[in-house]
Amino acid sequence: MDALRYIIKRILLMIPILFGISVLTFFISNTIPGDPARLAAGPHADAKIIEELQEKMGLNDPLYVQYGRYMKNLVQGDLGTSNYSHQPVMEDIKQYFPATLELTLFSMFITILIGIPLGVISASKKDKLADQFARVMALIGVAMPAFWLGIIFLLFFYLQLGILPGSGRLDTGLAPPESITGMYTIDALLTGNWAVFNSAIIHLILPGITQAAVTIGMITRMTRSSMLEVLNSDYIRTAFAKGGSQNRVLYGHALRNGMMPILTLLGMTFGHSLGGSVLVESVFSWPGLGRYAVNAITYLDFPAVMAVTILIAVLFITVNLLIDILYQVVDPRLNYD
Amino acid sequence: MLLELQNVCLELKRNHKYVKILDEVSFQVNQGETVGIVGESGCGKSMTALSIMRLLPEKAKLKGTIKLEDEDVTKFSKKALEKVRGNKLSMIFQDPLTSLNPLHTVGKQIEETLMLHTDLTKSQRKQRVVELLREVGLPRAEELVHEYPHQLSGGMRQRIMIAIAMACNPSLLICDEPTTALDVTVQAQILELMNSLKKMNEMGIIMITHDLGVVAEVCDRVIVMYAGKVVEQAGVKELFQNPKHPYTKGLIESIPKLGERKQILGSIPGTVPAPDKLPSGCKFADRCSYAMDTCRRKMPPMVHITNEHSASCWLLEEEEGEQFVTSGSKRIETTLHH
Repeated sequence: MDALRYIIKRILLMIPILFGISVLTFFISNTIPGDPARLAAGPHADAKIIEELQEKMGLNDPLYVQYGRYMKNLVQGDLGTSNYSHQPVMEDIKQYFPATLELTLFSMFITILIGIPLGVISASKKDKLADQFARVMALIGVAMPAFWLGIIFLLFFYLQLGILPGSGRLDTGLAPPESITGMYTIDALLTGNWAVFNSAIIHLILPGITQAAVTIGMITRMTRSSMLEVLNSDYIRTAFAKGGSQNRVLYGHALRNGMMPILTLLGMTFGHSLGGSVLVESVFSWPGLGRYAVNAITYLDFPAVMAVTILIAVLFITVNLLIDILYQVVDPRLNYD
Repeated sequence: MLLELQNVCLELKRNHKYVKILDEVSFQVNQGETVGIVGESGCGKSMTALSIMRLLPEKAKLKGTIKLEDEDVTKFSKKALEKVRGNKLSMIFQDPLTSLNPLHTVGKQIEETLMLHTDLTKSQRKQRVVELLREVGLPRAEELVHEYPHQLSGGMRQRIMIAIAMACNPSLLICDEPTTALDVTVQAQILELMNSLKKMNEMGIIMITHDLGVVAEVCDRVIVMYAGKVVEQAGVKELFQNPKHPYTKGLIESIPKLGERKQILGSIPGTVPAPDKLPSGCKFADRCSYAMDTCRRKMPPMVHITNEHSASCWLLEEEEGEQFVTSGSKRIETTLHH
């Protein structure tokens, strides 16, 4: 029950944070020069139409009234209408966010699958060949700009070898699966649509690896240093003294003890990637949140900017909460307080 | 013979060069016998223990033979070591606060040893864990199984370490300063527990300590180490009553005694020299009030005073030399008489 109370407390704490963020973004985006009404009406609209539009969009009301109206709608799930796509922002988000979420989950999966074992091996073979190899790989991953790596992947795997697709989420000609989560792979799995599932997976590979390259490097290094510290502990010696094998001690005793900093870093990169990676999404024409946000900013599409900002804030806070809960799952010494 | 060390030498890498940590260490432990290893910090006691367990750093150079029930541990493969550790050969460490994995429950940590070395089923293991907790004198064993080390006191944690070490009925138990980190009343309880376990299990124990009080309490025989060498070996009574090596004498004089009105405790001046700065002759010469020229030039050999008692000091060599001369001259006299 302690755990439940802790989680509820943390969720309640999210309210003032989100309030602060919404106030800040709302007032900043409304004091930026540029008139959304004029932008929406087009360059050749006459003054009267613009005035009418201003009135209709409520732009003449005091800012706090506009903010109050915005928040009232927000609570009801209405994020306003995009001045650019002319459809409800909620619909836009429903369309773009799952693409980003899917890509992020996939790249996090690769990161964990490769980064952590590589870091463990690196630590257990400190200064040996395997460690040096992992070090070089990690450095390459971190040092390589994502867009450059993406282009190289495209040139090689798409243009030269032609074994992997280079853009979009599905092969042309395939209809997206029925939207349940909005993530094509999962929806295809749920509906048993194997053709779509295969296509969705292979479309994830290149952008997923491109996005994971940096985080794999960081996680590998973090795992290595965290493990090195843990491997000097007395309880590791005890584990060997009991007759535990190298792998048993590494993965059964040391890794969990070295998990804290790794979890922190994973949480931060996860939260960050959920906001969408503009570079990766652009290179692979991935219809994700990052590109949507950049478009919204370019066209002074305030409802969209507001919505994306608040969404990213909510996601970040949620991921943080998840990580905090995971800390306590990993380490019983931290009690819910 | 349960354990026999012969000329064990250990070199470890310190600051890019190898330094000698153990120098020709030889001793034996018989079944059911408790052998104490005493000496100041840095004299190689713990390294002797870790050499027997083969829990040394990767680049350690270990020479000599360590025979455990006639098998040479120094020649064991990784697999063979894993099989013997925690099973026939187990060890208790100095600091119970850091020696248990903080993220695993007590039950899981004891059970792990059973899982690694026995064929017991899961429910049998769980049962055995509770039994073990009772054997080491812990109350409410059933609940304790689900608790984490940080919820327990130092003494309780050391009892759990003992339970882990005892889980597979080892033939040899190595205790590296098992009571040093505990407060005095708890120390006494732990020693009492060890004594009773020893009686029950017929195992050999190596008790590493710098506390001669602990030695007097539990040991049958004592090995005194100084700067990586064995300097004296004797039965526990003999050692306290008739110490031969000046270092042993110094150690014994530094124990406070009840009822004595002496104001100042005996102490040995200086500290153990660093392993890379050892003198060439007797390692103790620089701190020894009896040191002679010979001591600084040559290592004293091990002199056997009785079958059970030996020490390595030039003073003894002289005594023995004199004895030899006197007995020799007697013999000459007797021949002359005939």
